[in-house]
Amino acid sequence: MTPAVALAVPRARWRMSRRTARALKGAFGVALLLVAWQVSVPMVGMSAYFYPAPIDVAHAFVDLIRKGVLPVYIADSLGRYAIGIGIGTALGIVFGIAIGLSRRTALALSPLLKFLFALVEVAWIPIFVVWFGYGVKTIVLALIYVVFFPVLYNTLLSVRTAPAVLVNAVRSLGGGRIDVLRYVILPSALPGMITGLRLAAGFAFRGLVFGEIIAAKTGVGYLIFEGAQSQQTARTIAGMIVMGFLWLGIDQCYLRPFERATVQRWGLTIDAADRL
Amino acid sequence: MKAGRTEAFVLGALPFVAIVVTWALLPHVVDYPAYMLPPISAVVGYARESLQDGSLVHNIVASLARLAAGFAIGMALAIPTGLAIAMNRHVADVFRPLLSFLQAIAGIAWVPLTIIWFGIGNGSVIFVIANTIFFAALYNTVLGVETIPLALHRAVRSHGGRGIKLVTQLILPGALMQILLGMRTSVAYGWRALVASEMIAGSSGLGYMTMEAVQWQRVETIILGMIIIGVLWVIMDRVVFATIERRTVGRWGLLQR
Repeated sequence: MTPAVALAVPRARWRMSRRTARALKGAFGVALLLVAWQVSVPMVGMSAYFYPAPIDVAHAFVDLIRKGVLPVYIADSLGRYAIGIGIGTALGIVFGIAIGLSRRTALALSPLLKFLFALVEVAWIPIFVVWFGYGVKTIVLALIYVVFFPVLYNTLLSVRTAPAVLVNAVRSLGGGRIDVLRYVILPSALPGMITGLRLAAGFAFRGLVFGEIIAAKTGVGYLIFEGAQSQQTARTIAGMIVMGFLWLGIDQCYLRPFERATVQRWGLTIDAADRL
Repeated sequence: MKAGRTEAFVLGALPFVAIVVTWALLPHVVDYPAYMLPPISAVVGYARESLQDGSLVHNIVASLARLAAGFAIGMALAIPTGLAIAMNRHVADVFRPLLSFLQAIAGIAWVPLTIIWFGIGNGSVIFVIANTIFFAALYNTVLGVETIPLALHRAVRSHGGRGIKLVTQLILPGALMQILLGMRTSVAYGWRALVASEMIAGSSGLGYMTMEAVQWQRVETIILGMIIIGVLWVIMDRVVFATIERRTVGRWGLLQR
């Protein structure tokens, strides 16, 4: 005789993980916008020049890839961005440390630096155009400018706030100036450099697009501008979408891993206002 | 303390003096076409001229009015949206990826499109500023609500606070500090967007004034514009926003930096 065993058979229930649910909901939000946009096109009843449909944008996108324009433009934009960030960061760090080492130099230069930091790079573009003409030189200079000041300023700030106790400790243990620089100044300047770079990365990306709108013949910013100029509005929107993905890509692939490896590991905080 | 201040002031003035002296001496040392860097007297002359005919004041007022309009629209949209995202998980899940994407293209990239929609002028510029400020303020609103201590949340709820009362008594005051602190950053982004969009799509304003001067190679106009853009921002940041912070967040004893 078999005892009646009430086996608690778990009901096969398909449960989504929280992540999948989130991704699905997010996709739903995007789909919602696309559908609303497509449906609103006949309701608005304007020409594709004024209000193109998502389908038009998709066509423009395929067209841009097929003609080989898009890869070239993206490469050009990223190249300019990398050069601007690279040179701007390097100069900012070097000058930040050099100025920060001397109290008097720091005192003397900080009002000017604050003013130049406050004077947005956008305002320099007209004078750069007069001096260097419309072209890559103007864009790269504006990018170097916009990266240089946040990096310099934050580096300077953290060099100046390096604890004197540590400096004295290294010196009393017989360390020279080089040792102070290497064991105290550089490590304490690092958070400033990273904060500055993080701030600069966002400003520089916007600066890049603006510079390309004003003064380029290639690049994603130029694509956005040129599409509107030649009445191919779908191209403009395709360009904006590419720009969005580029920034999200830069943020996800470079900035976030970089922050995780440095700032978060050391328990520092960072104010990334251009991130939701 | 007093001696330190004088020292800082004197030292801090030195680089500015050095720049002016270099600028005055440069034409005698290096040979360059006069239009590339006009003498200081030309900039001062243009400043006097544009003050007398009122065009300078007109451009400054136009820029500031647009910034104010864009700021008001952007904040008015950002705070309710931010509250909705921060208070409801479903709303957050559905709209967060979309908004992150739109945030990545916020600002100046909209100008070519807004020129088609609104033409050259106020409409385009205000749209871009409002768009820029919206996303910066949205971030701060969401962050503000998320940093309200859970204990406070529970306390209000356990006393029966819900619905509109929860919002007015807890969420808004709790998030207010971050919203106020975030205004400074939002306006920094907005100012940048203002100058940039006026250069492309303006018919007046400081950005328009400097970009317009490029055509006529009037560098004295550009330099004057740059100085005013820099000084105005310093005044706004140091005087207006610092005062707001001191009067509100600082006075409530919440400032922690």
